[in-house]
Amino acid sequence: MHFFTRDGVVKAVDGVSFTLEAGHTLGVVGESGSGKSVTALSIMRLVPEPPGKVVQGDIRFKGESILAMPEKDQRALRGNRIAMIFQDPMTSLNPVHRIGKQIAEPLRIHKNMSKDDAWAAAVELLRQVGIPQAAERARQYPHEFSGGMRQRAMIAMALACGPDILIADEPTTALDVTIQAQILELMQEIQQRTESAIIMITHDLGIVADMADHILVMYAGKAVEFGTADDVFYRPLHPYTLGLLESLPRHDVDEKGALCPIKGLPPSLIHLPRGCAFHPRCEFAQSVCRSSVPPLAEISPGHFSSCHFASDSAFVERLASRACYVSSAPSGGGR
Amino acid sequence: MSPLLEVEGLTKHFPVSKGVILSRLGETVKAVDDVSFSVERGETLGLVGESGCGKSTTGRCVIRLLEPTAGSIRFDGVDVRKLRGRRLKAFRRDVQFIFQDPYASLNPRMTFGEIMSEPLVIHGIGTRREREQRCKEMLEIVGLNPEHIHRYPHEFSGGQRQRCGIARALMLRPKMIICDEPVSALDVSIQAQIINLLEELQNEFGLTYLFIAHDLAVIRHICDRVAVMYLGKVVELGGWREVYNDPHHPYTQSLLSAAPVPDPEKQRQRSRIILKGDVPSPIKPPSGCRFHTRCPIAQFPLCSDEEPPLREVAPGHKTACHFAKSFPIPV
Repeated sequence: MHFFTRDGVVKAVDGVSFTLEAGHTLGVVGESGSGKSVTALSIMRLVPEPPGKVVQGDIRFKGESILAMPEKDQRALRGNRIAMIFQDPMTSLNPVHRIGKQIAEPLRIHKNMSKDDAWAAAVELLRQVGIPQAAERARQYPHEFSGGMRQRAMIAMALACGPDILIADEPTTALDVTIQAQILELMQEIQQRTESAIIMITHDLGIVADMADHILVMYAGKAVEFGTADDVFYRPLHPYTLGLLESLPRHDVDEKGALCPIKGLPPSLIHLPRGCAFHPRCEFAQSVCRSSVPPLAEISPGHFSSCHFASDSAFVERLASRACYVSSAPSGGGR
Repeated sequence: MSPLLEVEGLTKHFPVSKGVILSRLGETVKAVDDVSFSVERGETLGLVGESGCGKSTTGRCVIRLLEPTAGSIRFDGVDVRKLRGRRLKAFRRDVQFIFQDPYASLNPRMTFGEIMSEPLVIHGIGTRREREQRCKEMLEIVGLNPEHIHRYPHEFSGGQRQRCGIARALMLRPKMIICDEPVSALDVSIQAQIINLLEELQNEFGLTYLFIAHDLAVIRHICDRVAVMYLGKVVELGGWREVYNDPHHPYTQSLLSAAPVPDPEKQRQRSRIILKGDVPSPIKPPSGCRFHTRCPIAQFPLCSDEEPPLREVAPGHKTACHFAKSFPIPV
C-alpha cells in the first residue's frame, strides 16, 4: 500500500506477508508509522484511493482474493465477515445516534433484520459484552458511556454479525490498566465462544504476549519478523525485534536491568534508507545491509525474518545471547 | 538531613462551574485529598495511578502551578505556600517541570535556542552570548546537535522535542525536576532513550525527581520509592521492591496483576484480577475507603463507613487499607 502525495510516494506498507488461521490471534507490533494500521485498513479496503493504492500483492479471505472482488462483494464482507474495532471509541461512535441503533445497524444492513429484531439483538449483544442494564443503556448516547463502556459497545458492534475475523486496532491504548484488563479478558472470552480470529494491532508487547499466537513485527512499512509468539520473544531473528525487547522496562522482575534502547530515529517513509530500512540504527549492520534489501524469508518452519544474517547461526546465537528474555525463557525449548 | 520536599495533607478541590445550579450547590472535584509524602535528596519518587487519580494535580500543586486548597509543602525547609514575588521566583528556579506532550509544551514560534534561553532571560542570567553558549552545551548534554539551536520544534521528532524540554528544565541547574508523564507520548525505542537520559542526568547533576506516570514498568525502572494513588488518595507508599514484590493494598495488587508482562510464557501462567466497573467520579467519591466499590475483599460496613488511614506495615512501607496484609500477585 503506497500513498501518492505531493511530497513523494509514502511506502506505508511495503511487501508485508502473513497468514492468519481461523480461531487464532495475530499480534501486529511496531512503533508509530510502521504501517500497522494501514495494513489493517487495507484488509478492510478502507484506504481511500487515491491517494492510496495497492501497488502489489494480494489479500485472500478463505482463499478468495478481496482485491479482485467487485465493490459490492467487498461491502458484504466488511462489518459482516471481517469487522474492526478502532482505537478511540469516542470518535468512532456516532455521537448523535443511540448506542443501540449503532449496534443494530450492521444487522439491518447485512442480515436484513427488522428494526425491532435488530434492536433486541443489539440489547442482547450489549449484555454479552458485560454492560449492566443493557436495555436502558442501549437507549443512551455515546457521551453517557465511560471510555471502557464505549469500547465494549464498539466490540458489541463488531461482533453483531458474528465475524470470522475481528481486527482490533489499538483497542485498549486509550484505556486505563484495570479497564484494559477487562477488555482483554472480554476479547479472549469472545474468541473462545465464537472461535473468530483476531488481528490485534498494538505497540504494547505485553498485550501481544498475553493475546497472540503469532506475531508480526513491522518496521518502516515492512514486515521484519513473523512467527509464533514464543519464537519471536525467545528466539528473535531480527535485530529490530531484539532492540524492541531490550528497550522495555519490566514490572515483573526483581532486578533493575539497564535498558538498551535502539539508537537513532525511525526513517521517513518517503526517503527510506537504501538497503535494509533498519540499517542506520542496527548495530550489526554490514555493507550488504546498506546496498540490498533483505527479503522476508522463512528461516525455520513458520519463523520468518527479513535480515540478511538471519540464517547465519553464529549471528543468531549472538542475538540470543543478548536477549534479556533468554534467562527467563522456558528451558529445553522443544515447543 | 531533612528531605528535599515534604508534602503534608495536600488537598486540591476544583469547583464545578458547569451550569448555575451545580456551582450553587458548591460541588467540587476532589482531585487530591489529604496526600502526604516526602522526597529525599537525590532520589526518585514515583507517583503512579490511573487517569483522574490526582497524580498530575499533585505535581502541579507542588510547584504552585495550581494553588492547593489545603496542606503544607516544604521545599528545602521553606514553606512553599507562603512564598510570594521574588522568593517564589527563586523557588521556581530550583524546581523545574517536564511536561508530557512535547508537541504542546514547546512554543512552535520559538527556536530551540529561544525556548531554552527563556528561563535564563526571565531570571536575568548571563549575556546573550553566554546564554547561547549554555544552550549549545545543554543541547549536547541531552544528545542533540548544538547546531540545532536555530531550528524550530516542528523540524524534530517527538523524542528530540522531549530532549529539548528536558534541556530547558536543566538550564537553571535546578535541585528537583517534576516529570509529568515524560515518556508516555513516545515510542518504545525512543522511550528507553529518554529514560536512560533522565537517569544519566540525575547522576551527573545530583537531581531529585518526582516522577509521575501511569506505566507501572516505567515507574518500577526509574523510581527508588513509589506512591500508588487512587481517586485523589495515596493508597500505598514504599520502596519499589516492597510495592512491586509485596503489595499490601488490594488496589496495588490488582494493578500489578492487570498489566500484561511482555513474556508469553509468564503471561500464560499469570491470572488477572479483574476489577469490576469504572473508577467512580471524584465529584462524589465513595464514602469510607474510596476503593470499596471495586475492592474484591471489601467488608461492610467497615470499608464503606470508615476511611482507612495511611499506616506503616513495615519500616518505610505504608498502606491505607483496613485489611492491609501481603497480597501476592496471583500466578
